[in-house]
Amino acid sequence: MSENGHEHRSDALAAYLLGALEPGEAAELERHLAGCEECRTELEWLRPAVQQLPESVQRVEAPPELRGRLMEQVRSEAESAPAPRPARRQRVGGWSLRPVAGLAALVLVVAAVAAYAIGSGDSGGANTTTVVAGHSPGVVAEVVRDGGSGTLHLTNLHQLPPDKVLQAWVQRGKQVVSAKTLFVPNQDGTASATIDDMEGVNTVMVTAEPRGGSVQPTSAPIVSVAIPQ
Amino acid sequence: MRTSKAERLADEELMPLIGEKNPDAFEVFYDRHGGVAYSLAYRIVGERGAAEDVTQEAFISIWRSGARYDAARGSVRTWMLGIVRNRAIDALRSKAGRAPKLDFDDDSILEHRPAAEQTESEAMERETAQEVRGALGELPGEQAKVIQLAYFGGFSHSEIAGMLGVPLGTVKGRMRLGLEKIRGELAEGLT
Repeated sequence: MSENGHEHRSDALAAYLLGALEPGEAAELERHLAGCEECRTELEWLRPAVQQLPESVQRVEAPPELRGRLMEQVRSEAESAPAPRPARRQRVGGWSLRPVAGLAALVLVVAAVAAYAIGSGDSGGANTTTVVAGHSPGVVAEVVRDGGSGTLHLTNLHQLPPDKVLQAWVQRGKQVVSAKTLFVPNQDGTASATIDDMEGVNTVMVTAEPRGGSVQPTSAPIVSVAIPQ
Repeated sequence: MRTSKAERLADEELMPLIGEKNPDAFEVFYDRHGGVAYSLAYRIVGERGAAEDVTQEAFISIWRSGARYDAARGSVRTWMLGIVRNRAIDALRSKAGRAPKLDFDDDSILEHRPAAEQTESEAMERETAQEVRGALGELPGEQAKVIQLAYFGGFSHSEIAGMLGVPLGTVKGRMRLGLEKIRGELAEGLT
């Protein structure tokens, strides 16, 4: 790459880390990153600068009532939560997902949908109900494996806010990494995404992320599909 | 588990317990990071009620999906602040019908005011914060502005270019130069 070309990429890396790229640009950059060690190194070098930005804000004291409300909700949910399940059954947001036995290369899981309620509630008061994941059934997720790759098909999706995209993630062991796939639902509520490398993947997840995607999930999964090994 | 026992655990050790729905572990986690989370939310949404909602949503999200934390991708605190930031930007955008009103002269990020209460860990955090503030404060104004508009305002580079009336490449170049300088300051602080 020419020096000017690399400088152009460096500019894009900074905008990417700040979440300022458009979705298409971010996806293009992610494809480039997959094959460019130099850019990946630069990205990781620059990342702490962005990670430290929130530490720079002027501290304001959180109201004690907030802590009280949080702990009341958490303790209430803890009391009603079932005992931990074996690791092979993925628990996400209070509901469990089990693979449905089926055709050899087909995993069909009827999952629950997290309404795209992030930030869509009434933000004017303290009694806003938080919808995070798992209480609006409807989304069907299907992963079709084809050799080392796979295709994720989703149906019954809600439309996204304009500043959101869907991002696919794969989990290998305890490590969750981006499948480098950003997408949005079609008009009919369907969507598909290609998972290039299914090797060793035990779970495929989809989250709603800001435009440009995220380097790690920042919200609870909309769907989570356990892949039998 | 008693809370006092959870207090002795590192964040990374608390997360599996939170994933198992241990409220004592969560309580310790909130006490460690609730302050900076609320401060960040308030910095972005600019209103206490909305900042409370954002903070509550973010922590409940972590409570319900804490097992999703991946230690290979950064500290728990960084992960948590990323969640808070995204939710705050969401709230800002939905409240404003997209375009949040930002005061371009708002340079509160550059200020340093001690918190009312100080613990040892908070003091260490503030040292880092002070380094970042110092680095931001030394940036040319146009570099600090584009970084703040993107990170705290949730604007895309093209939106920022439109607001400031400068070419897209200029915005991205200022972002890069600004972040490189902050990164350089952080690196110096480590040596």
